[in-house]
Amino acid sequence: MGLNSFKRALWVYHLNASSCNGCDIEILAALTPRYDIERFGIVLVGTPRHADVLLVTGPVSRQMAPRLKLLYEQTPDPKAVIAIGSCGLEGGVFYESYNLVGPIDQFISVDVYVPGCPPRPEAIIEAVVKAWVKLEKPTEQKVTQ
Amino acid sequence: MKMLTPEEVVDSFNTILDGNLIDARIYQKEIAVKKNLYTSIWIHVKRESFRKAVEHICKLQEYPHLSVISFDDRGDSVELIYHFTIYYGHHLKALSLGLRVALPKNDLKIPTITDIIPGAIFTEREIQEMTGVEIIGIPDKRRLFLPEDFPEGVYPWRKDETGPNDMLRVLPGREGIKND
Amino acid sequence: MIEGKIKTSYTIPVGPIHPAVHEAIRLDLSIDGEEIVDVDVVAGQVHRGIEWLGINRNNPVQSIYLAERVCGICSTSHPFAFVQAVEQAANIEVPERAEYIRVIVAELERIHSHLLWAGVAAHEIGFDSVFYLVWRVREEVMDLMEYLTGNRNSKAMFQIGGVRRDITEEQFPRIRKTLEYYKTAFNQLKTVFLEDRTIRMRTKNVGILKTTDALRFTATGPTARASGVPKDVRQDEAYSAYADLDIKAITPDILTGTVVGDVYDRIIVRLLEVKQSIEIIERCLALMPSGDILTEPKIAKLLARLKKAEGEGVGRHEAPRGECFHHVRLQGGEETLATWKIRAPTYANLMSMPTILIGGQIADVPIAFASIDPCISCTNRAIAIDSRTKRKLVLTDKDLHNLSVEKTRRLKDKLDS
Repeated sequence: MGLNSFKRALWVYHLNASSCNGCDIEILAALTPRYDIERFGIVLVGTPRHADVLLVTGPVSRQMAPRLKLLYEQTPDPKAVIAIGSCGLEGGVFYESYNLVGPIDQFISVDVYVPGCPPRPEAIIEAVVKAWVKLEKPTEQKVTQ
Repeated sequence: MKMLTPEEVVDSFNTILDGNLIDARIYQKEIAVKKNLYTSIWIHVKRESFRKAVEHICKLQEYPHLSVISFDDRGDSVELIYHFTIYYGHHLKALSLGLRVALPKNDLKIPTITDIIPGAIFTEREIQEMTGVEIIGIPDKRRLFLPEDFPEGVYPWRKDETGPNDMLRVLPGREGIKND
Repeated sequence: MIEGKIKTSYTIPVGPIHPAVHEAIRLDLSIDGEEIVDVDVVAGQVHRGIEWLGINRNNPVQSIYLAERVCGICSTSHPFAFVQAVEQAANIEVPERAEYIRVIVAELERIHSHLLWAGVAAHEIGFDSVFYLVWRVREEVMDLMEYLTGNRNSKAMFQIGGVRRDITEEQFPRIRKTLEYYKTAFNQLKTVFLEDRTIRMRTKNVGILKTTDALRFTATGPTARASGVPKDVRQDEAYSAYADLDIKAITPDILTGTVVGDVYDRIIVRLLEVKQSIEIIERCLALMPSGDILTEPKIAKLLARLKKAEGEGVGRHEAPRGECFHHVRLQGGEETLATWKIRAPTYANLMSMPTILIGGQIADVPIAFASIDPCISCTNRAIAIDSRTKRKLVLTDKDLHNLSVEKTRRLKDKLDS
């Protein structure tokens, strides 16, 4: 995975699909001066319409499922989706609960999976870089259902 | 406000409720190196004298602290347990008070206490949606945590046929929870 | 002046620039000019059915890890209350050394949580540089937690009957070094938060919660203590090593002499609690007894003992946000818990939200809401309904955040001119 130059700044939108906040504060911690991803040009934005990458955390509860789809559709192409935390992969410790309707990839297509409960900020930064490489490569984006 | 000992508290309930007190139990334990005492009192009352018991707690302590109402499914009856704390604010003197009320499953009704303790509104709403117990006189009947499209008649905390077993999500390749 | 948007039927979870500690806040505001007249609170998006999982699927030891993930920020408080409830129900003793280790881990978590909150509060007012600075300061305690327990969050230190890892004498110097760092950092934080003109102007007399309201709505934690109610589970109830330590509840009149119950008082209470936590950890290190850390080290034997046990128990802990409560009943012969009820602290504090917000301005909503330190997994949306003008506006939380930042700018210009 070679990345020789960053052709553009990556704007990231964070979406919490009913997670416990453990992964969310590790995402925030990645912004702070210790890990400082802003020096690479990665910025958290406040609306999905400006975003290149979606960071999604949490197992998806019934109430959040339609919003998850809506936000995914509002994000313009080309985009990448990163599912952070074990909850987003397969439900984590909550896998059989009655209010959960499936891991994130049941609703939207995911590009990078980050296991961990919660994953360390370094793992999150590596995931964003992997998504970045994917976006920079001139492959065509799949159209989602 | 005079602070009574645990035995005096139980006696005062006995006097006020006049025969409607089914059971009372005091639990005490020594804690850590200095062996200070932790005390908690469990009281079981009949439904008819439930409001009187709550009013009596308000006399023992002005503005008692209600933590939550918990629920127990015992087969053909259910139990609601109201967890109070009295004598807070004083060093190591707080008493934890658990007020238990049993309700038969064919008549799941209990009066509200939000007129005495406004801070009970959330926990009463949660009990209504999660267990099917009807709280008479509750000022706000809406659901608290479950989504609006969650089916009526499915009560997540119950262990009988009204439980949420049909709503579970089974991951591909696994078997669901076996119910026996 | 804000433009009125058409009210849609979607509740779109728009996160502000730093979304991790603000969930979907959708406010339907009916406003009279800029004043709020009525507030309603709606929750539910993060409902994961944890109690149901504990009753139907997990054995009690597995439920500890489930309890840890109720909330990622206060991930020590829920296991602490839970294991106390199970130990009371099953009559399992806890060695004295384990009690002291539990308190040290819990107080480290309190420092991390209050610093997290301080950064968020600064961000809501518009001081982003303070946010970054405070979170950098917080990294020291995260490093210490990783050194002691192996992870920054979700530390898995608790076990029924004790703790899983020991804090040995060789680790004490490292703990003391971090505590010394925080003693100097505390003075700087105090200057920044309590003596800055703009912060005083934005937080004094904003979001007031009167003492009687705090008592009636059973508020707990710093929200109640800032309104003058000296409720603190560590002071009131004898549990764990706190029973030996003579904790005193911190109310704002320790510093200022009076109790107002506004956001400024809540900042005072939380900062002084950081100092109190540092002192508690030092005393625990000095008084640490020797001995085992687990009553029953073999898990198979522990599970067999829990399966036979019958009884019920109640566990309480003073989490950084308030009183965390667990009720457990064990039935003989059943592997899972018979009953489990969790009450997170924000559950109780949220009922005071209407009283805090009514009569205030829209631009103050972010800081007033953040001042009760809502833990998002315990709460979700707040819908404020204004009834007088019958005009419903949907404001996203980005709009609110911008309003709040603009107000700070206006006040600063007024001060400087």
